[in-house]
Amino acid sequence: MAENIEQRKEYAVSGNLYSQVNSMNPSIDIGFIVQTMKMSLRYLPATLLLSFVPFLVSFLFGTLFALARMFKVPFFARFCSLFIVIIRGIPVVLLLFIFYYAIYGGIDVLAKSFDWKVASKDFSPLFIAIIALSVNGTVYLAETMRSALLAVDKGQMEAAYSIGMTTTQGLMRFVFPQAIPKALPNLCNNLTATVKSASLAFTISVVDLLNGALLYASSNYKYLEAYVAAAILYWLLCYLIDKTLQWLEKRFNLQAERTTL
Amino acid sequence: MDNFFDPKLIVAYLPKLLACLDVTLIILVSVTLAGMVLSLLIATFRLFDIPVLKQLSIMLTSYARNTPIVIQMFIIYYGLPLLLNAWFGININTWDKLVFVIVAYTINSSAFFSEAIRTAVLSIDPGQMEAAYSVGMSRLQAYRRIILPQAFVIAFPIIGINISALMRDTSIAYAIGVMDVVGQAKAIGGRSFHTLEAYVGAAIIFIILSLVFEKLFSSIEDRLGRKYRTT
Repeated sequence: MAENIEQRKEYAVSGNLYSQVNSMNPSIDIGFIVQTMKMSLRYLPATLLLSFVPFLVSFLFGTLFALARMFKVPFFARFCSLFIVIIRGIPVVLLLFIFYYAIYGGIDVLAKSFDWKVASKDFSPLFIAIIALSVNGTVYLAETMRSALLAVDKGQMEAAYSIGMTTTQGLMRFVFPQAIPKALPNLCNNLTATVKSASLAFTISVVDLLNGALLYASSNYKYLEAYVAAAILYWLLCYLIDKTLQWLEKRFNLQAERTTL
Repeated sequence: MDNFFDPKLIVAYLPKLLACLDVTLIILVSVTLAGMVLSLLIATFRLFDIPVLKQLSIMLTSYARNTPIVIQMFIIYYGLPLLLNAWFGININTWDKLVFVIVAYTINSSAFFSEAIRTAVLSIDPGQMEAAYSVGMSRLQAYRRIILPQAFVIAFPIIGINISALMRDTSIAYAIGVMDVVGQAKAIGGRSFHTLEAYVGAAIIFIILSLVFEKLFSSIEDRLGRKYRTT
């Protein structure tokens, strides 16, 4: 351990850390890639948590926003439009940083002024990443759901009203079953986008797939291998999601054909 | 922690942050131009079914679309010097970090651009191609004069969205030490401990930029639509 630290100091003094190691070992270490993949797979649950929870939350809020804008709910619809314009402009990294510093700093300030017994260090950065990614995802899901809801013929809702259904019933029984299959390709894109942006959580020191690989590589500075390992894992994950949703889409289409026949 | 959030500081930091905006714009412009060229190549390989190159293009597109851009950037940052050193014996460790960022983002955005171009070309009525053949055009002529202008009008909105997304993605370049708006915000935060204000300032710049881009692209779209509307 002490030797390791000594080595690190040496590298740090001599400038470009990576090229130092590079000149010692100029080839890519495939064995280490496999090892890193195994190690970082342990943190797969964190990545899944960071992608699926924000996706579900943003799906709910996105649908709510889309409905608000469709039915032109006073005040709330305008709030949604403003929210979308503002949040869409902010890069995910900045959103993560802003939430991180706002929540961590804010909790300490509030705790001091109200004599709470909580401190910022009690909260895991994982929660902050989930909040920030949900806020970011809501914007994109709102657009997806809006276009899907607008793609459903207006007559469907009118038909629901004409047989005495309430708005909620019409939405749940007529509009959503038709809108969701239409939205599936875009939802798939949104989900893979969430998985990919979840990798940015490493910037606020959440240990997920990417950070797990990097931590494992920090002992021998084989960062290239760590990034390649992480890339392979993300590639597989996104490929699986893509294939699953394509299969779902096919099933929905089959079902639609059967019901129309 | 009395002054946890001071809005006045955002205004104070904005000029310093804006001074670093040129890096973001340099990345954006060079990536857009290089990405357009590369994406046209990729789309051509795929549309014309050129063996080997087509499979390579599909692999590259899948890689660029299914892995996070941070990882792609770091793979280029660590991998490109290694590759060039091993194959050509060129040492590029001293090159500017911006070069690696531009290479990585070019590969990434060319995948997205090429998908937009490819689907646009495929969406054009085959009758157009037949009409071009019927007046004696060659395949290349037909593509250049008939298909591509129409495909461009269809692909433009998607390319515009991709360029705006690229603009937001450039914010990740700070991770390899490029001094762009986010890098500067981080530096200001490190010096003054008013990190939140610096990041909010950076966010404001990005919001304004993306609004400007949105307006710009929609006005170009309108003009293209008017010019090429078939009567």
